[in-house]
Amino acid sequence: MRRGVLLAGIVAAVVAAAVLAYFFVYLPSQQRGKIKVVVYAYLDRITGIDPSIEDDTGIPVIGVVYETLVRYDPATGDVVPVLAESWEHSEDGTLWTLRLRRGVVFHDGTPFNSTAVKLSIERAKGIYEKFGRGSGYIWSSVEEVEIVDEYTVNIRLSYPTRLDLMAAAIYSAYIFSPSALAKAGVDSPLDPELESWFNQGNDAGSGPYYIEYYSPESEVRLRKFEKWWGWSLVNNPDAPDVVVIKIMTDPLSQYNGLLAEEVHIASSVPRANVGDLASRGFKVLNVTLFHNYLLLFNIRRYPTNITSFRLAVIHAIPWEELVQVALRGFGRVGKGLIPHGFPGYDERLAYKYDLTLAREYLQESGVPKGTTIEFVYQGEYEENEAFAQLLKSRLAEIGITVELKPLPWIAVKDAGKAVWEDADRAPHLIISDWWPTIPSPYEFLALLHSTNTEWNWAGYNNAEFDELLDKAYELEGEDYELALQLYARAQKMVFDEGVAVNLWDEVRPFVVSSRVDLPEDALNPLYIYVIRFELVKVRD
Amino acid sequence: MPLSLSYLVKRVAWSITVIVGVVVLSYLIIILSPGDPAVKWAGHPRGPGAAKAVEQARKELGLDQPLHTQILNFLRMVFTGDLGLSIAYRQPVYDVLWRNLAATLELLLVAYAIGVPLGSFLGVFAALRRGKRVDGVLQAIGTVFANTPTFWLGLAIFMALLPSGFTAYGRVNVSLALSTGFYTITGLYLLDALLQLNFPVFVDALNVSLALSTGFYTITGLYLLDALLQLNFPVFIDALIRLLPPALAVAAYPVGVCLRIGRTLMADALLEEYVRAAAAWGVKRRTIVWRYAFRAALPGLVQVSGLAFAYSLVDAMVVEYVFGREGLGRLLYDAVSVNDFRLAIGLLVIVAAFYLIVNTLADIAQALIDPRVRL
Repeated sequence: MRRGVLLAGIVAAVVAAAVLAYFFVYLPSQQRGKIKVVVYAYLDRITGIDPSIEDDTGIPVIGVVYETLVRYDPATGDVVPVLAESWEHSEDGTLWTLRLRRGVVFHDGTPFNSTAVKLSIERAKGIYEKFGRGSGYIWSSVEEVEIVDEYTVNIRLSYPTRLDLMAAAIYSAYIFSPSALAKAGVDSPLDPELESWFNQGNDAGSGPYYIEYYSPESEVRLRKFEKWWGWSLVNNPDAPDVVVIKIMTDPLSQYNGLLAEEVHIASSVPRANVGDLASRGFKVLNVTLFHNYLLLFNIRRYPTNITSFRLAVIHAIPWEELVQVALRGFGRVGKGLIPHGFPGYDERLAYKYDLTLAREYLQESGVPKGTTIEFVYQGEYEENEAFAQLLKSRLAEIGITVELKPLPWIAVKDAGKAVWEDADRAPHLIISDWWPTIPSPYEFLALLHSTNTEWNWAGYNNAEFDELLDKAYELEGEDYELALQLYARAQKMVFDEGVAVNLWDEVRPFVVSSRVDLPEDALNPLYIYVIRFELVKVRD
Repeated sequence: MPLSLSYLVKRVAWSITVIVGVVVLSYLIIILSPGDPAVKWAGHPRGPGAAKAVEQARKELGLDQPLHTQILNFLRMVFTGDLGLSIAYRQPVYDVLWRNLAATLELLLVAYAIGVPLGSFLGVFAALRRGKRVDGVLQAIGTVFANTPTFWLGLAIFMALLPSGFTAYGRVNVSLALSTGFYTITGLYLLDALLQLNFPVFVDALNVSLALSTGFYTITGLYLLDALLQLNFPVFIDALIRLLPPALAVAAYPVGVCLRIGRTLMADALLEEYVRAAAAWGVKRRTIVWRYAFRAALPGLVQVSGLAFAYSLVDAMVVEYVFGREGLGRLLYDAVSVNDFRLAIGLLVIVAAFYLIVNTLADIAQALIDPRVRL
């Protein structure tokens, strides 16, 4: 009996202690909010954080921890200074002089200077040339990076290009501290050990936040870098002290995270739940990204080798319905090949939904009714599936049968590339989603260049088109306006032939908790998923 | 000593065979399924040199070798304990595994600590009331608990909690963990820092930014233990209240199994003649139940608990996914989806080894408890 009383007493004491601790320690500590924390839910696991190599899902980390020489400004279509304060180029566009920002330090205290710029550019370029990895091809025109003095570099090009646009690239344009080599214990910047050192969670950047904890499968924690040169310029005392990039690969988990107040900014909640979150007081920022979904026609296989047949298919696409119903409004009707707001975008290159016209084109093509065509797309995307069903139903109305083949990404790519080896083995229609590395129309139009057998899934081989593109690219450094005109002609050419069409540009809803203020400037359609946290405000 | 050398040799040989089987089968399944690990290893290159990068990646991963050579090489990597870098994360496989293993183990241990004693106790309780209504009800509960899909149960608990505003999402409130590194208890900073074993703040008690920046940090990866070691009670409570709902879901199976088996073993033991003799001798009922009858049922319960523990590992891997917790379940799903065969197989080897070790330990424990058992 006595033992029972003692046991009951112990249990009562434990319960009482737990209740007291809950009310007097746990709850008050939750409301205290000593430091400003922002948790950003991100859909993908981080594949790497090497600033010269990573061109996959590590960009939301790299884009905050590292800085480029300049940043692309979507409002003006031009670039703004970051680590480079000013720049000029020779008349023929082959010699660029960059004056670097003074007073910048990397996270380890090393001063930023010309050596860092030379090393960063040469490493990205060298790794691409040696291993084919990363996006160092953006520097392919660079012949030499010459250090003039500590804060001036001359970059000599083998042919004129817009070096300022290259330097604003989303990949392989980040500047890192030369001290990384010694820390990684390597002599050569191309040594694979340096990549391993970065991927252990080490950083050598100069951005407003540095890496405090790196677990690429679950969470990356960034802490405010008090010595960042830009704090006085952004003048934001409410910027987060700590940013947690939380990997939440299931969109529903991001939704639950927002409701549980565990997440403050979510990049990928289910589209169907966005309205619900808005009604609960969450702010929704819809950003039109430079990321589009292109429908490519196999022009080497019957019947998609016939222009009027392709135009019949294109005019059977219910464009508005596609965006409003299939995409739930989270998309913009595609025009030409280039997305909204991107250099070279042409509002006039739009097709209309007209089944009568589609029937006329079909008749003109001579393709009999009842013909079956194959359509391959990436099955993991619900948007693709929705579009495929829409297209199938509309083409059925004009007598064309569509065999749908949803496949995993790698199988889609293999099917697309097959057009160059055996066109009859490749599908008639295929969807490719694309986003640019640098802000140049070349990025989208080169998808149809005949030398691009890796991604030109249409099998398009038009010498005139190729020549226009090559010429325009070379002209970018000398006469940008003229280059844009040539790009426009090339884009019009494929539009008229119906070789490939931009179905829609992605509109991504970023859902934000009421505790956080995410200004529109903090998101940039070129740097997908990168948030400029230095502009974010956290409310108490 | 109830353990013989031949038992140990047989066990080791069997374990190696199982591990080889797991590696070979999983390697074949992952490599022959759609998707190319070399593309991932190359970083999904999009530029003009993409083909070159993928080719180089294929060489680095040894995927350009004949299949049997690949398997032999991989087996060598497994048995030398060096699985290299994960294809998805480019970090050592064992580093990634350890970070996530701790999360799953924590869930499993708490579930087990709830499930086995509770199930056993209820089994004994039912056996003592054999044939009565309460026995029937408890047996029904045991059957339901042992057979309910844990994934469904986890989801049901989560959905039931959601409307009430109480969510058990994730392992810990990140903002809380970051902001409660140091907190005031008495107001005397030195004393408070000492009480919380926060030595950086103890040394520099006036440095406010330092106090703020020494948030909760992981030591073992088991958050409950880590929070206790740092005397960080807010984080301990937060981690616990997030852990309990998924732990209850995982505990359902051990509760059900231990209840049913415990009830059967106990009911049999209570019918033994020595129990009746003890009762005739006037031995106290509590002594008869716990010291004689339960002790006889214990070896069987230990064996079943061992199996339930290993089985619950898979349950924990599933349930943690539902509750948004990191751990082996999510890791495996992600690894398979990107053809990261190194990480996926490393994980499966750990799970297989876990099964083998727990089963062996259960055998040994049974032999130690029951003098009739010889291994």
